[in-house]
Amino acid sequence: MLEIKNITKYYGDIKAVDRLSFSVGKGEIFGLLGVNGAGKTTTFRIMMGLLDSNEGDVRLDGKKIDYSFSDKIGFLTEERSLLTKLTVLEQANFFGVLKGLKEDEIEPKLDKLLKTFEISDYKHRKIKELSKGNQQKIQFITAIINEPKLLILDEPFSGLDPVNVELFKKEILKLKEQGTIIIFSSHRMEHVELFCEKLLVLVDGKSVLEGYLTDIKKKYRKKNILIKGNVTKKDLSSIKGVAEVIKKSDEYEVKIEDEKYVEDVFKVISKKSDITKFTVEEPSLNEIFVSKVGERYEK
Amino acid sequence: MRNKFNFLTKTSLIKKINNKWFKIINVILAVIILTLMNLDFVISFFGGDFNKETTIFVIDNTNRNSYTVFENTFDNIKDSLRHSEKFSVELQTKDIEYTKKIIEATNDILIVLEYDEINYINALVISNSYIDTILYQLIVSSINTTKSSVVHQELDISMEDLIKINTPVEISREFLDESKTESEENMATIMNIVFPTLILPFFLLVIFLVQMIGAEINEEKTTKSMEIIISNVSPKIHFFSKVLASNIFVIIQGSLLLLFSFIGFQLRRLLGSKSFIDEFSDVGINLKDILNNLSESGFIDKLIYVIPLTIILFILSFIAYSLLAGILASMTTNMEDFQQIQIPIMILSLSGYYLAMMSAMFEGALFIRIASYIPFISALLAPALLVIGQIGILDILLSIIILLILLFIMTKYGLKIYKVGILNYSSSKLWTKMLKAAKE
Repeated sequence: MLEIKNITKYYGDIKAVDRLSFSVGKGEIFGLLGVNGAGKTTTFRIMMGLLDSNEGDVRLDGKKIDYSFSDKIGFLTEERSLLTKLTVLEQANFFGVLKGLKEDEIEPKLDKLLKTFEISDYKHRKIKELSKGNQQKIQFITAIINEPKLLILDEPFSGLDPVNVELFKKEILKLKEQGTIIIFSSHRMEHVELFCEKLLVLVDGKSVLEGYLTDIKKKYRKKNILIKGNVTKKDLSSIKGVAEVIKKSDEYEVKIEDEKYVEDVFKVISKKSDITKFTVEEPSLNEIFVSKVGERYEK
Repeated sequence: MRNKFNFLTKTSLIKKINNKWFKIINVILAVIILTLMNLDFVISFFGGDFNKETTIFVIDNTNRNSYTVFENTFDNIKDSLRHSEKFSVELQTKDIEYTKKIIEATNDILIVLEYDEINYINALVISNSYIDTILYQLIVSSINTTKSSVVHQELDISMEDLIKINTPVEISREFLDESKTESEENMATIMNIVFPTLILPFFLLVIFLVQMIGAEINEEKTTKSMEIIISNVSPKIHFFSKVLASNIFVIIQGSLLLLFSFIGFQLRRLLGSKSFIDEFSDVGINLKDILNNLSESGFIDKLIYVIPLTIILFILSFIAYSLLAGILASMTTNMEDFQQIQIPIMILSLSGYYLAMMSAMFEGALFIRIASYIPFISALLAPALLVIGQIGILDILLSIIILLILLFIMTKYGLKIYKVGILNYSSSKLWTKMLKAAKE
C-alpha cells in the first residue's frame, strides 16, 4: 500500500503542496487531478524521492520511500523523458539497469513489450526517428520494464491515437490485475473515469475533492436529465431548479441544481404528449472537476 | 547502488568514445600533430623556391684573395642550411652590371667585396628578392670571417692568435644565493621555448573536459530524461559518475595525444629529418648544450619529484574543473546557456597558460608566485615556477593542499546546488535558488 501522509512542500514562501494525504492499495488506480500548477508534479516528485517535503512522508508497504525503492517504482513523465540519440534497445538497457535489472534480462523483456505494443521493428531505431506516439510507447515500456510495484503515470495518453490508447488501457489494466499500485494523472476526464476507482482533485496544493468515483458522483447533487419529445427549451428553462438547458441533436440535456428537482421536471414533462425519453444521469467527472476547480482549469 | 554508479560511468564513457565526433576529432588531431612535427618535410615535399639551385657569385675587388677565404668559410658552415648541396659559391670575373642581368629573376646572389682602408672590407649583397634569414646570416658570417682573415694578413697576426681571438669567452657563473643554480637559470631559456608546448595539451584537455560534462548534463536535462535518471539514482551518484567518466576520458584523450606525438617522432626519424635539437640550433639556440649542462648539474634528478607533483596537480585540477563544469551545467537549462557560463572557466585556464609563459620573464614576481597557489591555474603555473626555481616543493605542496580544500568545498556545497539545479528548468532567480540550495 502507498500512503501519503500529510505532505507539505514550500518553494520559498509559496506553498506548493498543503498537508496532502491519501492512500492507494494494491491493484488500485488512483487519479491525481488538478489544473496546471496545482501541485501534481511536485507531489509526484516527492513520491519519487526527487524532492524532499517540508513535512510529512511517503510510505510504500509501511516503509518510507527512498532510493532503495527506486527499483520497485515506474515513472512516466508528462513530457518526453527519453535520450533521443539512443536506439530503443540502448534506451531500454539504460533505464533498465538504473531500475535494477541485469543487462542480460532486459532484452527479452523488451522484445515481449515491443511485441505487445506492435513496434518490434523499431528495436534498433533511434528514439528521435520515431513518431510522437511511438516515443510515448517506448517511454511507457521503459516505465514498466522492471514490473514496478508502484507506477506513476503522468498524462500517459499524450500524443496517442485512439487505437493506441486502447493498447495502453489494456496494458494498464493488466498491471492493475497483477497488483500494481497505479497513480494516474490526466487532463482527459473520460480517461480518468475509465480507469480510476479513487481520485483526488488538487487546487493550489490542497485537496478539494477526494474519494471513490462512485461516491463522489453520488454525493454530487447536480444531475443531468435527458429528455426527448414534444417540448421546448422555454418550457424546460422555466421549471424550478433547472440551471441550464442544452439542445442536443434530437434531445435536450437539462442540468438541475439538485436531484430533489427531478420530480418537478418530471411533473411538467409528464403533462406533455409524445415524450419518448426521460433519463436521469450522473454528471460527468469533467463537470464535477470544472465545478470544483472553476475557471482555473486548462489555464 | 555501486553497480548503478559503475554502469553510469561506463555508459557515459562509452558514449563519449563511441561518438563519431570523438573519432573524427582524433583523426584530425593526429593529422595536425603528425604534420606539425614533420612540417619541414611536408613543406619540402610540396616544393617551392627553396628547391632551386642557388649560386652565390662573388666579385672580389679586394686584391687580397678574399674569395678563397669566403668560399672555404661558406662551404664549411653551409651544412646548417636545408638542402645545402643546392648552394654553391662561384668567383665572378665579369663586371657588376653584367652579373646583375644573370641573377635577375633567379635565386642567385651577387656579393661584391671591396677593400676599404678603414674597415678593411666592405660588401655589397645583391639579389633579385629577399634572402632566406639563415642563408643571409651565413653570408654575413662568411664575410666577417673573410674580413678577419684579411686583417690577419694586414696586421701580420699569427693564425694561432686569430683562433684565440675568435674562440668564445669561457664564462663561469657564481651565485651568492647558494640555492640558485646555473641549470635553473638555463631552464628559464627552455621555459620560454618548450613549456608552452608542453602545457598546451593540458589547456586543450580542460576544454574537452568542460565541454563534455556540459553537453552530457544538458542533453539529459533538455530531454527531461534527467527526471527518470534521478528517480533511480541519487544526484550524488549521478554527479560523481559524470566526474569520473569525464576524467577517465581526459586521460584517454591525453594518452592519445602522447601517442600521436610519439608516432610523429618516429615518422620524423623514418623520413630522415633533423632532430628538434638540431632545428633549434639552426635558429641560434643551442638546446643540446643547455640540456647537457642541465643533465650534468643534476637537474634531471629534480624531475623525480617535479613530474609526480605535476601529475598530482594535473589530476586534481582536472577533477576541480569537472566538478565546477558539472555544477554550472546543472544550473543551466540548455547548451547555449552553458556555452555562456563556461567562458569564465576558459578565461581562468587561459590566464594560467599565459602566466606560465610569462613566469620566466618576471623572475621573483610576487603576483605570479601567489597566482601559483590559486586552484585551476596552479596546475599550469606551479610546475613552471618549480622548474625554474622560483618556488620550492613546499610551495607546490601548499598549492595541492589549497586545491584539496577547494575540492572538499565544491563537493560539499556543489552537490547541494547540483541536486536542485538538475531538476530546475527555469533561469529566473537562478543565482538566488542556487545560493539558497548551497546554504541548506
